[in-house]
Formats: sequence, structure tokens, C-alpha cells
Amino acid sequence: MSLRRFLHRRYWDEERVREVEAHLAEEIDHNSARGMTPQEARRQAYIKFGNPTVVREEIRQMNSFVLMENLGRDLRYGVRQLFRSRGFAAIAILTLALGIGVNTAIFSITNGLFFSSLHIRDEGRVVEMGFEQKGDSWQPSLSMPEYREVRDGTLNVFSEVIAERIYLDGLSAQGNKPDRVLSSYVTGNYFQMLGVEPFLGRLFRPSEGATPGSDPVMVLSYQYWKEHFAGDPNIIGRQVAVNSYPVTVIGVAPRNFRGLVTAPQVQVYLPAAMIMPIDHEPLATFNKEDSRSKHLFGRLRPGVTRQQADAALALVARRLAVEHPDSEKDAALRSFPLYAGRLGDLDSQSIYMTVSAFFLGLAGLVLLLACVNVANLLLVRASVREREMVIRSALGAQRSRLIRQMMTESLLLALLGGIAGVGLGAWGSSMLSSMNLNIDLPVHFDFGFDSHVLLFSVTIALLAGTVVGIVPAIRLGHANLNLILREGGRGVAGGRSRFRDALVVLQVGSALMLLIIAALFTRSLAESAHANLGFNSANVLLLTMDPSEIGYKDVQTRDFYQGLLEHVRALPGVDSATIAGSTPMGYVNSGFDTVTVSGDQPSAGHAAPSLNYNVIGPDYFRTMQISLDEGRGFTDVDKESSPNVGIVSAAMAKKYWPNQDPIGRQFSMSRDPTHPIEVIGVAHDVRYQGFSGPIDPYFYLPFQQHYATNSLNTLEIRTAGDPVELISEVERSIHNIAPMLPVFEVKTLHESLYSPNGLLIFQVAAGLAGIMGTLGLILAVVGVYGVLSYVVSRRTAEIGIRMALGARRGDILRSVYRQGLWIVGIGLVFGLAGAFAIAHLLGSMIVVSATDPATYLSVSAILAAIAMLACYIPARRAMHVDPMKALRTE
Amino acid sequence: MVKSKKEQELLLGTLDMLVLQTLVLGPAHGHTIAHVIEQRSDEVLQIEQGSLYPALHRLEDRGWVSSYWGVSENNRKARFYRLTAAGRKQLTVEANRWQSMVKAIGSVMQNVTRTAEQK
Repeated sequence: MSLRRFLHRRYWDEERVREVEAHLAEEIDHNSARGMTPQEARRQAYIKFGNPTVVREEIRQMNSFVLMENLGRDLRYGVRQLFRSRGFAAIAILTLALGIGVNTAIFSITNGLFFSSLHIRDEGRVVEMGFEQKGDSWQPSLSMPEYREVRDGTLNVFSEVIAERIYLDGLSAQGNKPDRVLSSYVTGNYFQMLGVEPFLGRLFRPSEGATPGSDPVMVLSYQYWKEHFAGDPNIIGRQVAVNSYPVTVIGVAPRNFRGLVTAPQVQVYLPAAMIMPIDHEPLATFNKEDSRSKHLFGRLRPGVTRQQADAALALVARRLAVEHPDSEKDAALRSFPLYAGRLGDLDSQSIYMTVSAFFLGLAGLVLLLACVNVANLLLVRASVREREMVIRSALGAQRSRLIRQMMTESLLLALLGGIAGVGLGAWGSSMLSSMNLNIDLPVHFDFGFDSHVLLFSVTIALLAGTVVGIVPAIRLGHANLNLILREGGRGVAGGRSRFRDALVVLQVGSALMLLIIAALFTRSLAESAHANLGFNSANVLLLTMDPSEIGYKDVQTRDFYQGLLEHVRALPGVDSATIAGSTPMGYVNSGFDTVTVSGDQPSAGHAAPSLNYNVIGPDYFRTMQISLDEGRGFTDVDKESSPNVGIVSAAMAKKYWPNQDPIGRQFSMSRDPTHPIEVIGVAHDVRYQGFSGPIDPYFYLPFQQHYATNSLNTLEIRTAGDPVELISEVERSIHNIAPMLPVFEVKTLHESLYSPNGLLIFQVAAGLAGIMGTLGLILAVVGVYGVLSYVVSRRTAEIGIRMALGARRGDILRSVYRQGLWIVGIGLVFGLAGAFAIAHLLGSMIVVSATDPATYLSVSAILAAIAMLACYIPARRAMHVDPMKALRTE
Repeated sequence: MVKSKKEQELLLGTLDMLVLQTLVLGPAHGHTIAHVIEQRSDEVLQIEQGSLYPALHRLEDRGWVSSYWGVSENNRKARFYRLTAAGRKQLTVEANRWQSMVKAIGSVMQNVTRTAEQK
């Protein structure tokens, strides 16, 4: 066959037909000349020639690529078939679309979180450093001195090491009200190491960022430049103010570079040492050995593995521990691979990975259910179409051709389902991308569609098509066609197939697994939402602000808050008001420091403990309704000039002063070891992070004694009525005192619990699992119903005979029911076992027990009840079979 | 009807050769070719005339013959086939192959006849 002939195959077909006609005419003439009658001449000519159609077909086949032509024909035939049974096609396509859509959406999240590009040079060679000291989690934070040690001590493995610190600042252009920005203070070699080129102007030089205050320059992110400077091309050289400190814009980062650290998007970049003048960080703190607030990244030298890098880092850690025994004892360092859209601790990456994998698994289960349903539908159709297949095979179609035809049809279904599924998935992932995170941060999740997602969707669509199509195809391959032809496809008994039963068992089992997981998540959400967190979240309004963003310092900050609190307390409808550095489940933590308790020697091999603390205003415990177990709260007595005081949590009291009275005891903090803090009260335990597990020791310090380092605060107001009604009035009060001060995170305390650090993750998980559980339930019920209906329709004759022989309706009902319940029962057992096996993978994602018997039992009962209903309808139909009619239709 | 692929190939190859040989005398149309083959073989080779056309199609596709529309001796429009240079070369190849095969078969059959005679 040649391409030329293929392209001109219609022309050649006509040519040869004409030629053959001419030949026959010649032959007829020839025969007539030999004296035959016209009829005989014609007959003999045809006998001599053979079948012209076969000749034509043979030539045509020579001109075509047979496989391709067949495929085209199969496709056309398939489309016609699907179009003829539109109902079936719609259900099958919708079912597959749901399965593929769920997978696409979940995969797009995983893809966005772990596989999307950071758009830096040679991404795979950049690693992040983790620090670990007290045997708990690997933290992505190190101090500036540690950065220098790492940089200088790993020259053989890293070509360059950079440090980055994320901060919140107020950026004011042309004296306008400042805008809160997520800023990144980076070492001068940051952009050079990442291989990022400027979109406009220039980026930092390696020399910049080392000396405090010497490089007042700034680089904008592309998105911030677009949104807040309207993409002004003349931005370079512009003077702006960061926390009232003047800096010059020198460049704009490229469009697709969105920073390295977290899901929130960095908006401006500043040289590392600029944090001192801008955020008033003392040089001593900047250079403090254990002031660990920087992310470190290194670029591996060519040929160096992460293991080699880790060995070099271990050496650095050992040297640090020897040289600084008080702050670096037992320090450990290692590298971690870099992920896009990182969330939280370095360790928790693997948790998010596990969770993503888990949800992909659940989505896979939904797809499996969808495939089983469609396969079942196709099986039913296949038996209806048995006669068609038999006739076609009797007319000479090869069995392989018929199987190919069936496969083409199911792949066509899967492809259509895939297209619809990708649409559904795109919608789902855009919903997830635009999910309300309940925080005032420029968070950007890119769950969009890229080539990875598309490839994934197409792959699973084809996989689904094959899985779905292979079952009826195999059946056809094994079928005894002659037998079917003789029976006319209407066996008296039969209709029961072990294979079909197994499919239903699989469906019921998978659905139960999905539902149990969904129920575990939902119960975790409910349990967490109603957990006793140690405070009363009702009727509290929160507003966060940071006067340093408008250049306020020390006393100015203190006086601002003092005046504001006086003003707010006087407003009608306000019960009490206070300020605090940390809010429960918030993302700003006012303090974390190493604590030394007098008289308490950390046991051998353990470094001094690091604890979280909260710097609070007066009336804090009253406003939050946290009960004081012992002693007193902070009052006006606790001034800057009076001795340092603190209030410890019950957990802290119990840990450091067991069976003793903690009041009057002392402890000191690493950042100010010369001024010990005297315990004046013990507060009830409060959950500031997380909803389950033991509550860590915690303590409180009075704002009056610590205002210099705590200008970012949340105003907390307990109201008599709906707190939302007070928002505008309180904002007006703030505006009256400090017109330029930006206010953010304005919401109720209750709302703030649904933040990413709070209930949001449970909410999302419960929502996703719930959607998949519901899909699973629907698919399983449709599956059970469909199969039983089919079985009943095939058994109509048998039922008719039984009834004619005297079986009562109840017997028939029971017989059909028994069959249905039997498969549902086995399915439930498999589902319970499956859920039991996978639920423990959820770990800390759920707060209820992974084997919670109440959940398992109630969900099984619900599924069983619904499945029974699905059995009932076909069983009832069987009961009402009219024996005479049933027998006559045979 | 259904022949094994190998058998078909052998026959087709032979038919191709016969057609090419017929055209050595000059251009001819399908009907003539069929009759010439039959007559020259003293009506021994009764080819199914229809099978001639796929063969001609194939030969033309390979460039061994070329065709044009002309008028037959009975004043009918007919497609005439002419041997090309490549076709002439191919005929030599096929004829040689055929000769050697006939020789081989001949010597085998000779042995058979001899054995039969000895018995």
C-alpha cells in the first residue's frame, strides 16, 4: 500500500470499477460471438470472472491502511451506537466524569503543592536546611551566626548558601496610609544563587545586606508591583517607606518567581541587615546565636549528593555544639528537598505528602467505583447486544474485530467521560484555589491546570476506559456464540454471574471505606469545634495592628495601646478589652524562648526547654474568660519599673513545680537572663495550637513590661451583643488615634478558629472526604440496584415458572432479597476490614480514634439500610411478575 | 476459498510473472491478458479473471507496468497496460527464480518417478 494510493483511493476505486465493467462487457461480447444466448453469455462471463465486489474490496484494501480504516469505522459505529442509546451513554459518561473529575481535582492540589516549579535555576540542586535540637521536630529556622557557620563550613558541598527571613511590614508609597506587606529579608547573594533574573531594574548584589542600614534598597515581587504600583515602568529609583524608614526601589522580580518559603507570597525583598533599622531589631539580637528565625537554602555543587551535604552539615553542627555549649548543645543539621507551596515545619511536609497520597487513594477508590458501575452497565448492554454480535460474527466478522469494536466503544466512553471529568476537575480545583483561608495574607495556591494535570487526567481516562471495556470484551471472547444464537440470548435460568456479584461486593466495600473515612473526618471536625479550648470564643472581636508599620517606637507604642484600650472600653456594648501578641490558632506567635527554671536542672543530654509565651494586656483573662487557678492577674501595679512578673499555665506549673506552690518561684528567659521573672499566678491550660494531644507548658508576660519588642498586637474585645456590630466603631476609634495605622485580621474569635492553623484543615478534609463518600454511596447504590434489576429481568421466566408451580410472592421476594443481601453483606465485611486497615494512616489528621466503633457501626448500618432499599425495588418487581405474561414472552 | 498466506503468495507471484510475460509482446488490456494466458497454456491455466485486476493494481503500484485508457479491438474503452523498464528487469528476476524452482522441483520429481519405477 502506498500513501499516494491511499490518498487517491476513491479515484482508484472508480477506475477499477470501470475497468472491471469494461472487462465483463468484452467477455460477454466474446461469449456472444461464440454463439451463446445473451443470458448465457452474461452468466458465463460472471462465472469466469468471479465476484466483482470481492475484487473491488481486495483492491480497496490494498489502497488503505487497514487498521486505521477499521479504527475510523469502529469510531463512527461507536458514536452511532452511543447516540442510539443516549440514556446509557449519558449515565456512563457522567459516572466516569465524576470519577475522573475527583481525581483531577485532588491531583491538581498535590501537583500544586509538591510538583509545581519554583521557577529558579536547576531547582533539583537547591536544598533547605533543617535544625533540630531537642529531639522534637525539624525546624526550618536558624540564626544568623549559624548561617555564617554553615556557609563557611560547607564550601566543599554547597556552591552558595542563602538566608531568608519572612516578616510583616508596612509599606507606604508617597506618604499614603501604609499597606501591610509580607517581606523577605535576604542575604545579598539570594537572587544570584537562585539564578533569578530581574524583570525590571536590578536585583541584590552579594555585597548588599551585610551591614546594618547601609543598603536601603528594595525589590518588589511582580504581582505586588502590578497590583499596587499599576505596573509602573518608572518604578525604579522611587522612594518608598517601610515602617517609615525610607528605601529605594531598585528592581522587580520576574513574574513567575513567587519566593521560596511558604504558601503565602512574599511581596517585597529587602537586604538581610535592613531588618535592624526597619524593624528596630537590636544588633545583639540579629547576631544572637539562638535567635533562630532564618530559612537557609544551599545549592549543591555539581556531583554532590544530599547525603554528602548532610555529612558536611553534621560536622558543622558538631563544631557549633562544641563552641557554643549553652545555645547549641545537641544541635543537629540536615538538608531537606525543596517543595513548591511548602506548609509548616519540615517534618510536616511528609505529613502533607501522606495526606495528599491518602486523598489520591480515596479519589482512586471513587474512580474504581465509577469504573465498576460503567463496566456493569456495559456487561448488561453486552448481553443485550449478544444477538448483534452473534449475527455479525455469523456474517464473517472476526472475533478480534468484535472485541476491538467493543474496546473502541468503551474507550470512546472513557474519553468523553475524561473530557467532562477534566472540566469538572478544573472547576473543583478552581474552587479549592479560591477557598477562603480566613487570614489576611497574600496566600497563593496554584492548583491550576498544567501539563502534569492534563497528562494525569488523560492517563486515568484511558486506564478507566480499558478497565471498563476489558470486562465485556473478555466475556465476548469466551462466549460460545453458537449456543447464544440458539438460545436467542434468553436463558431460562441464568443471569446470575459470580463475576457481576464480585463487582458489587467491590462497590459496596469501597463505598463503605469512603464513608467511614468521611465520617471520621466529620466527627473530628465536630469534636474539635466543640472541644474545650480553655477560653470562651463567643462574642469576642479581634483586630490586629502593628504601630511599628507607621514608625512608632517603644513608649509611643505603649501609649498608643493604652489610649486605644481606654477609648474602646468606654464604647457602649463593650464588656472588656485587652491586647495580646498571640491569638489561639493564629499565625503570629508573640514569643518563643529558652527558659531556665531556678532549681530545675535539665536532665543530662537535654537542652533547656523552649516554651511559647504570650505578651498580654491587663484584663486578658477576663476578656478571654480563661480562669485563673491561683494567684492574680496582671494589674497596673506591674509597671516597667517594678520587678518582672509572669503567669504560668497549669501545665507549666505542674511540670516545673510539681506538688509545690508555684507562686513566688522564679524562672528566666534566654533573651534577658539577668532579669528573672517571678510567678504571680497560675492560669488554666489553653489550647493555642492544635485540638488534641497534651497541652504544652505556656506562660504569659505583661505588655507593660515588654512593649519595646511587641508592637504587633491583637485588640481583643468581649462584647455584650454581636461583636460584628462593633467593627466600624472600633475601627473609627483606631483611626482617630492613629489615622495612618493599617488594621487587619478583623474578625470574631470564633471565625479565627477556622484558620489554616485551626479548624480549616479539618474542614477541608471533612469536605473532600464527604464529597467522595457521597459519590461512593451513590455509585454503590446505583450499582446494587442496577445489578439486581438486571438479575430480576433475566429471571423473569424462572420466576414465572416458580409462581406457576405454586411459589408464593413472599418466597420470590425472599429469594431475590437473599441474593442481594448476601452480596451487600460480603461487601460490608470487606469495607470494614479495608477501612480498619487504612484509617490508622490518618494519624494526627483526625482527633477521634481511627477505630472508633460508633463510627464504624453507624456508617455500616446506614449503608446497609440504603443498600436494602436498593434491593427492595427490584425484589418488589419480581414479586409482581405475572406468571402468564412471563411465560408467554418466552 | 481460504488459502494459507504462503500458498496465496506463491500463486500471486506466479500470476504476476505470467502477466509481465504476456506484456513483453506489447501493451494489452485485462481481457486480452487473461485470454492470452489461457490460450498459451493450452487452456491448462484457467485463471479466475477477477483475480487479474488486484494483480495489475499491485504491479502498477510497484511501477512494473503503466496504464492508459485506449480503445479495444472491439471498439470499447479499455485500460491498456504496458511493461516498464523496471517491469522488464523484474520479469528477468522472476523468470530466473521460476526456472530454478522448476529445475529443483523437476529433480525432486525425477527421483520420485524413478523410485516409483523401481517398485
